[in-house]
Amino acid sequence: MSAGITDIAVAKPREVIENDHFTSIGLTDEWIRRRSGIAARSWLPDKTPLAEVAAEACAPIVTRMPDPSSIGALIVISTSIDRRVPGLAPDVAERTCLGPGVLAFDLNAACCGFVYGLVTALSLCDAGRAGSVLVCSVEAMSRLVNRADRQTACIFADGSAAVLVENRPEFSAFRHTAGCDGTQQALMREEAGGIRLDGMQVFDRAVRRMSESARYLFDSDPAPTVVVGHQANGRILEQVRAFTADLGVPFVNRIERSGNTSSASIPLAFAEELAGGTLPTAGRLGAVAYGAGEAWGGVAVDYRITDDVIAP
Amino acid sequence: MSSFESLVREAMLSQLRRRDPSLGPADLDRPVADLDLDSLDLVELHQRLETELKVKGDLRETAGFAFLEDFSTYFTKLASRE
Repeated sequence: MSAGITDIAVAKPREVIENDHFTSIGLTDEWIRRRSGIAARSWLPDKTPLAEVAAEACAPIVTRMPDPSSIGALIVISTSIDRRVPGLAPDVAERTCLGPGVLAFDLNAACCGFVYGLVTALSLCDAGRAGSVLVCSVEAMSRLVNRADRQTACIFADGSAAVLVENRPEFSAFRHTAGCDGTQQALMREEAGGIRLDGMQVFDRAVRRMSESARYLFDSDPAPTVVVGHQANGRILEQVRAFTADLGVPFVNRIERSGNTSSASIPLAFAEELAGGTLPTAGRLGAVAYGAGEAWGGVAVDYRITDDVIAP
Repeated sequence: MSSFESLVREAMLSQLRRRDPSLGPADLDRPVADLDLDSLDLVELHQRLETELKVKGDLRETAGFAFLEDFSTYFTKLASRE
């Protein structure tokens, strides 16, 4: 008996921003595609509360559960949190009608947040400390960037995705690697003018960290059947794909119509693959991420999705 | 030309042709600014040379190179030390 993923759902903003939106700041469709592999991204309306979006992602999962009271913990992951006191998690818990006994808390590990949150959820579940754990990433990165900044405005995007973590007799133990190198905090930082990136260093380190994390996940059986990397930039993803080609499993790149949704990018991309039928509804997910901090990590986890995955 | 230098130039040309298949060996002598390369292309080139030669370079150093020849000299030197 081990913990794994048994359900997934998403909430994606309706407003799609095509590349021609950025001609006003001197960026062309061709340049953005070449630089990032991105053709479009979705942005939330400025006033929409993140808790509302997160609850939209979580609600179908809670509704589909025969006994929602078995949810012992709710982890809401966000870098772009729009409220600090109280945090997002209590609001999401209330909106999804979770009882007062739920261990609900926020987590921020930038673009690596989903890996950190999933490892935490799997650990709680495996230890028998929570029956089921709901893990929800929600981001409005469009609110953190300077929309006139040519380096970041076209890259970042918004969205939410949630997964349910439960114990199942057929699941193998999860495996993870994760860490944080605080000496590299300056590589990605929030300043008065928005998010700033040291592009070349971030590219180089993201490729290395995600490739190394993916490779670690294949060091023991069972190996992942698919790898989903943080959808940071299409060029980074293709380089990681090249560096890990010998691992011989599909490597997911869904950034073209999604952009970089920070911590939400892995579950959103995973859900899109499942909804599109390109991945089987059962297998072993290898999720690898790299983000500000610098936080990095990877987790291999069994999944068996029994409900229809709602197409993002 | 040493075998390392040949290997470096071959790897560089192969990498550059991913961006522009019409490039030939003579283009390796051109300034970086004259080629249709962006900063990420230079990181990819750096990583490609590290992988091919099994060496570890310093991106902060190579990021400032003005000529492709500088990459060749830098990585040939690194590989010769190994």
